[in-house]
Amino acid sequence: MAMSLASPHSLVVQDLHAEVAGKEILKGVNLSMKSGELTALMGPNGSGKSTLAYALMGHPKYKVTRGTALLDGQDLLKMPVEKRSRAGLFLGFQYPQEVSGLSLAKFLWTAYMQRHTAQDADTAGFDRDLKTHLTYLGMDDALLKRSLNEGFSGGEKKRVEVLQMATLRPVFAILDEPDSGLDIDAVKAVGETVAKLHRPDAGILVITHYQRILKYLKPDRVHVMVDGVVALSGGRELAEELEAKGYDWVRVGVPGTSA
Amino acid sequence: MAPPSSEITPLDYTRYDFKDPETYRVRIPKGLSREVVRRISQIKHEPEWMLEYRLRAYDHFVQRPMPDWGPSLADIDFDAYTYYADPLGEEKPKRSWDDLPADIKNTFERLGIPKAEREFFGGVGAQYDSGTVYHKIREDLAAKGVLFTDTDTAVREHPDIVRKYFGKVIPYNDNKFAALNSAVWSGGSFVYVPPGVDAGIPLQAYFRINAKNVGQFERTLIVADEGAKVHYIEGCGPAGEEILTGEAVTPIEGIQTGQTVLNSDGRTTTVEKTMVRPFDGELVEITPVSLENAFRLTPEHPVLCVRAENVPEFWAGEGVVNDGTRELLGLTPEFVPVGQIVPGDLLHYPINRTEHDVPSFGDAAMALLGYYLSEGCVQMINGCEAVTFTFHLDETEYVEDLSRAIVELTGKTPWVNRQPAKHAQVVGVYSKELFAFCLEHAGKLAGEKRLSKTIMELPPAKQRRLLETYYRGDGNVTQLGDVVIHRVMTISRQVAFQVQELQARQGIFATIFSREPFEETMKDGRTISHRRLYTVHHRLGSDHRTVHRWGDAFLVPVRKVERRPFRGNVYNFHVAGDNNTYLVKGFSVHNCTAPIYSTDSLHAAVVEVVGEPRAKVRYTTVQNWSKNVYNLVTKRAVAYENALVEWVDGNMGSKITMKYPSVYLKGRGARADILSVAFASEGQIIDSGAKAVHSAPDTSSKIVAKSIAIRGGQTSYRGLLHVAPGATGVKAAVRCDALLPDELGRSDTYPYNEIHEEDATITHEAVVGKIGEEQIFYLMSRGLSESDAIHLILMGFLAEFAKELPVDYALELNRLIQLEMTGAVG
Repeated sequence: MAMSLASPHSLVVQDLHAEVAGKEILKGVNLSMKSGELTALMGPNGSGKSTLAYALMGHPKYKVTRGTALLDGQDLLKMPVEKRSRAGLFLGFQYPQEVSGLSLAKFLWTAYMQRHTAQDADTAGFDRDLKTHLTYLGMDDALLKRSLNEGFSGGEKKRVEVLQMATLRPVFAILDEPDSGLDIDAVKAVGETVAKLHRPDAGILVITHYQRILKYLKPDRVHVMVDGVVALSGGRELAEELEAKGYDWVRVGVPGTSA
Repeated sequence: MAPPSSEITPLDYTRYDFKDPETYRVRIPKGLSREVVRRISQIKHEPEWMLEYRLRAYDHFVQRPMPDWGPSLADIDFDAYTYYADPLGEEKPKRSWDDLPADIKNTFERLGIPKAEREFFGGVGAQYDSGTVYHKIREDLAAKGVLFTDTDTAVREHPDIVRKYFGKVIPYNDNKFAALNSAVWSGGSFVYVPPGVDAGIPLQAYFRINAKNVGQFERTLIVADEGAKVHYIEGCGPAGEEILTGEAVTPIEGIQTGQTVLNSDGRTTTVEKTMVRPFDGELVEITPVSLENAFRLTPEHPVLCVRAENVPEFWAGEGVVNDGTRELLGLTPEFVPVGQIVPGDLLHYPINRTEHDVPSFGDAAMALLGYYLSEGCVQMINGCEAVTFTFHLDETEYVEDLSRAIVELTGKTPWVNRQPAKHAQVVGVYSKELFAFCLEHAGKLAGEKRLSKTIMELPPAKQRRLLETYYRGDGNVTQLGDVVIHRVMTISRQVAFQVQELQARQGIFATIFSREPFEETMKDGRTISHRRLYTVHHRLGSDHRTVHRWGDAFLVPVRKVERRPFRGNVYNFHVAGDNNTYLVKGFSVHNCTAPIYSTDSLHAAVVEVVGEPRAKVRYTTVQNWSKNVYNLVTKRAVAYENALVEWVDGNMGSKITMKYPSVYLKGRGARADILSVAFASEGQIIDSGAKAVHSAPDTSSKIVAKSIAIRGGQTSYRGLLHVAPGATGVKAAVRCDALLPDELGRSDTYPYNEIHEEDATITHEAVVGKIGEEQIFYLMSRGLSESDAIHLILMGFLAEFAKELPVDYALELNRLIQLEMTGAVG
């Protein structure tokens, strides 16, 4: 997918409502992103951050009841999951799935070939980039031969998500808590790699509870979700303020939200 | 017309014709008796001891009840089978494929056996119903003292070894089907590897049931003497079953509910119900002007046609097709029972308008596939995947055209090897990707080339380029006045029908006829067999033709109507919607009853394996019997001191399979490794498992059983782990994994443990898994379609098994799973 720098990409979510098992979780999310931006989405447990991610990717259990989500003007919500992916949306999972017998290498290549043809596939480039990314992430080649995520440590799984993002070069990537369950060194490795991989022609949305990964990511913008809406938006300093004051401060401080 | 959906399986009947004529030198009438047993022994000129053995086994078979456990075998009628049918009779098995009758040689060539022999194997045996027709071993192995013959020959030529081992691993009274085999056995392989000899590359045998109601009872004995090593591979196939089946072609007996087929509008429709019934009467055989499109139906079966009497006289014999098409207006085809059809009636042949563009298939890819279809070949050269094309020395223009396509597709510059002596030039390129691409989209051997569904559904404008380059290779053009005749010749029946369909999409009705296979005696007295050759033929220009265009269909005149007696099962199915029609050999027929003969067959083999001290034996099977075969096989090995026996056993086909490969560990330090896979779809029961009997100390066994049950198929794991008193220090591990991709399949586990020594280390794991929604979503979020996601998960589940298979078998497994999964989910 050839991208032109001249035409920046956009992901625009408007008044998005979604429910899981009949319970409304998203209650009118508004969010827009442009390529080149790195955005952090923060918020307390249960505020709807992950639901937003799954609803945008098209998980069958998440039912969108109202609102729109446009990727460069294309209606994401009308596309089947695989088309959303091929259109350039990526979701880094908080709990990645395991597939026994499917090697990580074969999986990456298969996913890569979903957006390339036999003619434009660049085997050598693929191998070269893979090697570079593995080095960035401090990962061993041996992982490539193992079954996808099977028996991987929590840290390995998170890194493999980032590795997939690097391989697939999405237009917009949503990383759902790439830092949860990681030790300090791993947070640093993941954070720095994501920052390094952030291209001017692509946007990244990082969902996180904590400020610590943001130190490496240096987000352009920070949104805070509370009770199914984006309750507060600001610059990088907002994250620090949250760290210091806690989410209750948002609940209290924002008119129209309830604790 | 509404744009058709992409999921279409156009129905064609080409496969059922693949059943060869049933000509046998010797065929004993149906039924089983002591007399039949004596007659088999007599035909084989057996020694007295074998006859006595057979008769003892027969007596035991008669009084032994059917097994009272496992799947029901109540429908087996032992008197309905032919117990001996041998194409060669008393002649010895051949050592050259060219010495075989042409139809039998054809059969095995279509299955790719002679080519596989050249590439992968040290020896090959082939059995056709009861008779071993071919057996050969490489000279270097023979020189080392390795024996590889059919078992009949072994009884005559190596009586000392045979008597020492025959029936010792599996006595005739082991079970009812072992008794049956012991009474009527015929063929099978005998392998003996002398002490210390490593047979190296695998030996392979291929078994095929051709005739209806014929039982196959091969008897295999494999002996690896002290310190010897051997890998033996067994392949099984049914009548009418081709390895690497074309994607666009499904035989009627293979049609399953939920599958989509084309109807007379060229649209997809779903099969709601399949039916089969016995029929005894006359069938009507209709031969249109395209001779190979002939088909047979029961007389009441309606076909869509325009009656000859309704065709205005001035039309008859002068409709112009192809360029300047004149449509036959003002007439509407109607359904007429096929019994009323007369020559001159016009049959309705709809054009398949399914279109599903894949942008990545560009000009270069289409051009290359056309050349590949006619001149190409995938092969391993120096251990690397390569694709080669053979052209005449004069065809430099084509070589350049092809080379450009190769560069564009692979980024590599092909080599061109000129061979003036052969008037040929070979273009080749090493490319794993191109190798896989050609294999996937155009098949492998000349006789079994076929285009993938993806190619068949591309827009006609793209397909035109493929036809252009294909005709350059296999075709010729003749100018007769202002009429130009285009012909293309192929030995692949699939390709002939696919080219006819592709031409129809170009607006051209091409006819197909074939030349009978024949034998030709060459100068030096050698006989060369020629395979059936199909010619696809059409004319362009101002030609008086009898085929008319009617909307998105052609009207094709009937040339001949014949009635033939038939007794056997006839098939039919209901499709969804008001238009209850489907296509037979391209022609529209109404849902009714179309005949394909097929009744149950019985395969009851006995395989005995002996691993003398320190020997290593591996026995690999992939059985893909058709879904009317009872596959009731006894396989057992004995492993002596420090010997290793491995069973790698895959079960994909059959109606009911009962098979439990076993290893009796009789010497200290002996090891057993059993890897068993079962795949059961609609109407199938695969009851398989493994047994490890530890009767010596320090022996170990590992059993891994994997099964997949979909669409109502059933799999069972039935295993026995026995540790005898005195067998101390035993280690045994059993793992059963079952995968149920949908809610319909069923899997059961029946493990039996009899452990008489306390220090045995036994582990047993059994897991039944489903394919989770989350797992599929995860893969789809990376851009994979749902069916690709499921296919990857299934192949991952079977990876442990697939990596143990020879490359051809692994590819076939992949295709089988893909075929079975089509339409299963989503």
